[in-house]
Order: sequence, then C-alpha cells, then structure tokens
Amino acid sequence: MLYPKKMSSKKADLIIGISIIISILIGIMLFVINKLTSGTIQWAALANSGIIYIWVTVMYSINKNINIAGHVLIQTIAISILTLFIDYELGFKAWSTSIAIPIIIIVANITMLILTIVTYKRYIKYAIYQIIIILFSMIPIYLMFKGNFVNNKILSIIAVGVSILNLVISLIICRKDIKEEIIRKFHI
Amino acid sequence: MKKNNENKLYWRRLDNSAKIFPIAAGKKYSTVFRLSVVLKEKVNENILKKAVIEALNKYQSFKVRMKMGFFWYYFEYNPKDPIIEKEKEYPCKYIDPHTNNDYLFKVTYFDKKINIDIFHSLTDGNSGTTFFKEIIYTYLEMLHPTNFENELRTTRKIDYDTEDSYIKNYDKKSKANASTKKAFILKGKKIKLGAVSAVHEIMDLTKLKSIVKENNATITQYLTAVLIYSIYKANYQKYNGKKPIKVCIPVDLRKYFNTKTMSNFFTYITVEAEMKKNNLDTFEKILEFVKQDFKQKLTEEELMRTMSNNVKLGKNPFLSVIPLPIKKALVRLSYIEIRKYTTITFSNIGRMGIMGKYKDYMEYFLMLIAPEPVEKIKCSACSFEDKMVFTFTSILKDSSIEKYFYEFIKNKGIDIKIESNEVLDVISKENE
Repeated sequence: MLYPKKMSSKKADLIIGISIIISILIGIMLFVINKLTSGTIQWAALANSGIIYIWVTVMYSINKNINIAGHVLIQTIAISILTLFIDYELGFKAWSTSIAIPIIIIVANITMLILTIVTYKRYIKYAIYQIIIILFSMIPIYLMFKGNFVNNKILSIIAVGVSILNLVISLIICRKDIKEEIIRKFHI
Repeated sequence: MKKNNENKLYWRRLDNSAKIFPIAAGKKYSTVFRLSVVLKEKVNENILKKAVIEALNKYQSFKVRMKMGFFWYYFEYNPKDPIIEKEKEYPCKYIDPHTNNDYLFKVTYFDKKINIDIFHSLTDGNSGTTFFKEIIYTYLEMLHPTNFENELRTTRKIDYDTEDSYIKNYDKKSKANASTKKAFILKGKKIKLGAVSAVHEIMDLTKLKSIVKENNATITQYLTAVLIYSIYKANYQKYNGKKPIKVCIPVDLRKYFNTKTMSNFFTYITVEAEMKKNNLDTFEKILEFVKQDFKQKLTEEELMRTMSNNVKLGKNPFLSVIPLPIKKALVRLSYIEIRKYTTITFSNIGRMGIMGKYKDYMEYFLMLIAPEPVEKIKCSACSFEDKMVFTFTSILKDSSIEKYFYEFIKNKGIDIKIESNEVLDVISKENE
C-alpha cells in the first residue's frame, strides 16, 4: 500500500448524502413537534435555519480547505448569541435557552462527528475546538438549575448527552492518532 | 553552518519564477509538487529525521523560511529543524508554514515510502530531486552504515549556488511568443471534501522505449500524445469541446545554460492541439502533430523567448513598485484569467539517476503535481531502472482519462499496473 487509507470519493458522497437526508428529517420532525406542542412560537423555523447555516458553513469550509472545526465553533456560538438576542428582544420566553440553543448544540456536535469521520483529519488538530464545543454544550445544564432560563429540560439533557457521546466516539475513532501524538509530544 | 555561509544565506531574493508563486498560491492553488521513493523496507522515522537534518546542512538553500517584504517576499535563514511525520494528508496540499517550523518543504513517510512536498517558490523539480536524493542517500547510509562506509559520496564537496539564473541569462530584446487562444478546460464534477486523487500508472520502460523508437519519437512526445488522445476521447468529445487542448510542458533550462543554481530555473513549452481545425481524430495524427510542435517549440531560441518574457514581466518597474498586498490582489485576479490558457500540465523529470549500491534499496520513484480548480488534472512522470511511473493527480470525480490512458498503454503491449490512493476507487478495483 502506497498511501494511508483515505475515504473514497463515492463513500464521501454517500456519507454527505445520508447526513443531508438526516438533517432534512430532523428539520421535518422539528416542524411537526412545533405544530403539535405550541403553534404560537415558530421555534422550529429558527432551529432549522441553524441547521442550514451550519451546513452552508461546513460545505464552504471543506471546499476552501480551512479550519472546519474552528468555523463550526464560531458559528455555533454566533447563532446561539443571535437566538438569545432575538428571544430577549421578543420579551424572553426562554425558547432560545430551552429549545434553540440545545438544538444548535446537538447539530454542532453531529456536524463535528461527521467531519471527524469523513475528513479523516487528525483529531488533535480539532481537539481544542471539540473540547470548547463540549464545554459550551454544558451551558444548558447550568441554565437548567439557574432560575427560569429553561422551560423544557428534555432538549438540554439530550444536547449534553450528544456532546458526551460525540467526545467518546471521536476518541474511539481517532485513538491511533491520539496515541501517536502523545508519544511524539511527551517522548523523553 | 559556516559563518560565511550563514551571513550569505541570512536573506535572499526569490528568483524570477519563485516571486510569483507565493503571491498566486493559496489553499486552492498550492503550487506544491511531491517526490516520493518507494523503498524495499519500512521507513525508520528517527533515522529519517536525522538524515533530513544532515541533508539540510549540506543544502542550506533549503534551510529557509519565507518572509513578507514591502514589495516582494524574500527568504530568510531558518534556525529551526523541520518536522518529519507520518503521511496523513492528501498529496501536494498547501504547505502551511506554521505546521512545519516555517519550512517550505515537508518530509513525510508511509510504510516503505518517503515523500518530500516542495513549495515551488523554493525550487523546481530538478533541484528538488537533487535535495531529495541527498536525503535518501544519507538515510540509507545511516540505516546501513557498514554497507556504505567506502562510498566516496560522503566526502565529495557539494557545489551549488542560489543565483537567479533567469536574470543572468535572459534576453532583454526578445519579443513575446505567447498564444492568445484560451484552452479547453477539463469538464466534470469535482471530488468533495478537498480530496486529491493520485493514480500512478507504472509501466515497463524497456517496452515503452522500443515502441517510442518505432514511432521516431521521444518518451515525452509519445506520452504527451497519449495524454492528448485520452483527453480527446474521455472528456473533449463527451463535452463537445471546441477550444484547443493545450498541454503545458515544463523544460529544465540547466540543459541549455551553464548554471549550478539550486533555485528555480525552468521554462515551458505549450503544445496546442486544435483537434477539429487540424483534424486530429486519431492517435497517429496526434503523435505526428506533437512531434512537429516539439520540433518548433523546443529550441533554444523559443525557450529563451518564453523565459525572457517572463523575466521582463517580473522585472517590470510598474509591477515592482506596487506594495505586496495590492500586488497580491492584482496577480490573483489576473491569474484567474491566465489559468484558462492551459488544459493540463505534464512534467517529465526523466530518469532518477541513483548511484550503484543505493539502487538495491529502492523500488521506484514517484512525482506528483498539485491539481488546481481550473487545471483539474496534472500529470507527471519519472523513471527508475526499468520502470516508468506516469502519475495523474486529480480533483475530478470522473477517472475516464486515467482509465483511457491505462487501456491505451496496455493495448500497445506494455506491461502496466496501477497504484493509487484509492480516492477514485474505480481504477483500483478494475486493476485487481
């Protein structure tokens, strides 16, 4: 074998295709939940805009071959702040902290996981961003126990769970790279 | 490093060709080429590291980092050691200097293979080969010290310089000869996720030589013709191409001028095949056309003219006094247009001359050139012993050109096998 194992073009297309379908299904699901629960606030539209926003960012970053993880992190924080601001401006009904931000966190974590799988990038290169995203994902827990910031705790709990799961899966996928990097960095 | 040398190499201008690369280059246009050697045994990382540092001590022109001046970039002595690591990325990717202690080349290894990716500003294929060979020789000497203790190579003085041979040799009076016709651009969807496909077509050199001789051609002429024919059959006809297929062929100028420079010193010829106008619908017609075109263009006068025009552009006083950030924007804009004048680049660096005993440790060499968004496929070739390796580096999802080329060579009775990085898995599977 002359080259390290890389994903074939067909496989990469397949994974991107599946990811897009999953995103669409999530989007439809969110709309249905939104309709069935409370029809007054269109939070699903906001969350779906977040999904589209992250996809646009990811595809742009990949095509430009730039630091994808850094972009995902920045965009996650930016959209979260934006939704928080919109919620505040509309009289703070806590939909941003209860629904939008947890969904953004879930999507960000799934995106990071997909990127780790499809780009075969070195985990170490992404680790710092991954850790910050995971730390950021812990904010809903803090909000849950702090006053009236979260009306519905389910999505916040799912967001934290997804983040931890993302960390574990990434560690398993990239264990070889991590081991190599540790040996390289800490050799005596 | 001797003090004299250190002072001399503390900073130096980029040569005339090199000047344009950092201005035009970016993540999409990496202007990086790769040389690889496949050895008969697994690579030892620690010894490779030592060998690279030792080779760098001999070839100090590579021990530099690039700095931004007010008008142009320049090279500065790099006191750090380069980082050598296992190959992980796709070949010929943009070399981010921050990931390699600011070096403009990157040495990686994988299994039995050693790679060097070189940013074209630093040097061209010829001098890159010289430096790469030094790394391999040193590596083998360190790995098997007893086998090479009597080698004279180790004590031989290395004689080179970093002069800008373009400036020294160009003709101020020469007139432009550039074609004004835009080229046929390869069509098709691109591979996603920034991946680069590398397909190596390894063929029997002896048989290839005899066929080439029967056709009264050179290997470069013959392979250029096969390449044009493959493009014609697999892409041009499919997309109803109208513009000429233009193949850019770099030419090493050291063969024409007396110089020991380790900097860039090459020019190029462009084979311009007007498929419809010249009725080039069979391989035989294409080969005859290529031979004639080479005859006309591969002359000292023509090469001098192309080289001199490029030097004059680099020395243009109006361009020179524009501050670098503005120059960068202007050059990048103009490059969007310039790139439309080439369909494909094919660089044949020829035979890898390796000294006696060292050959026993090697299987073959590879050369790769970074593809670009417009020139979606780039081709390169090199030979070692009885093997010629023709390489396609591509960002096109469709591998029809590579397949057509393979089938053509195979049908001529030349033994051929394919190695690849399996990004385009169609070829690898068919080859099994």
